Amino acid sequence: MYRLPLLVAALLALTGCPRQELYVVLPNADGRPGAGQITVMEGTTATVLNQPFAAAEARGGQSTGVPLDPTEARIVFNQAVAARPILPAHLRLYFVLGSDQLTPESTAAYRAVFDDIKRRPAYEVEVIGHTDTLGDVSYNQQLSLNRAAMIRASLTRDGVDPNAISIAGRGKLDLLVPTGDQVPEPQNRRVEITVR
Amino acid sequence: MRGFGSTGLLGLALIVIAAAAPALAQGQRIGQIKTATGQAFVVRGDARLPAKIGDPVYERDVLETGAPGSTIGLTFTDNTVFSTGPETQVALSQFRFDSSNFKGEMLADVKKGSLSIVSGDITRATPGAMKIKTPTAILGVSGTTFAVKVY
Repeated sequence: MYRLPLLVAALLALTGCPRQELYVVLPNADGRPGAGQITVMEGTTATVLNQPFAAAEARGGQSTGVPLDPTEARIVFNQAVAARPILPAHLRLYFVLGSDQLTPESTAAYRAVFDDIKRRPAYEVEVIGHTDTLGDVSYNQQLSLNRAAMIRASLTRDGVDPNAISIAGRGKLDLLVPTGDQVPEPQNRRVEITVR
Repeated sequence: MRGFGSTGLLGLALIVIAAAAPALAQGQRIGQIKTATGQAFVVRGDARLPAKIGDPVYERDVLETGAPGSTIGLTFTDNTVFSTGPETQVALSQFRFDSSNFKGEMLADVKKGSLSIVSGDITRATPGAMKIKTPTAILGVSGTTFAVKVY
């Protein structure tokens, strides 16, 4: 009998407290579909936020889910979002069978990698080489590293800072298209490049 | 000549130690400053360094910004992206990442101000492996884009 008025009084007291913290899911910036998910844990309570502009706030040391006007979210986080760097980009280039030479299509696509690097005020480039499953493990390990090294050499020749480039080879251990052993597969003969 | 030579060797040894020492004191390199405006600083141990585009960021660094218009943006080695608003303090308390399998964990402590995040490979491989701590709560992050404000 006494509980309801007490609860109302407690809620009024809480909403009367100033907002201490605000957490909000934003539309995916990286183009991935759907929305992300964050879980706000405070003591034993957990509030799951999994829709764009789903929000929670803390008042009086307690957090609860709240409706939030997207406009308010944009105002609160305007400067933080504006300071966001250009997001990392992922690119693939493909190679001729058994060599560290790019296919004609990827020779043309290489230019896009270079252009992406150059639009960033500061950059890091990761190049991971891969092979298909034709040949033994050590041959492919070396070939994958040669492919990554060839890309580093090209980028360096084109004016990219060699200290900003890291390379590695994964041989035939990390296939893009799963195949059996000793299978030539053009899509597995590749480098994966991350520019950030 | 011999005495000079050994001094040179000692000098070289000291330089090697001096070069290695900051890496030990400041932990692992985990990211790079990509944007910086206004009063933007990286606090590393006792040093408060102006944040400059291209500078490395290490585990346990603290990002600090001042007056309105001051911001810092950075990328981590797992491709997570942080950007702060003004009057912000964020400690990069913990960061572990293995680029061969994308496994890792990350803890950032937002003491005040605003932080916008686009999560990267750590949360992609292990949803929840990124945690954001605030004065009253801990956020478990499964991905990807969100923001936190501590008033």
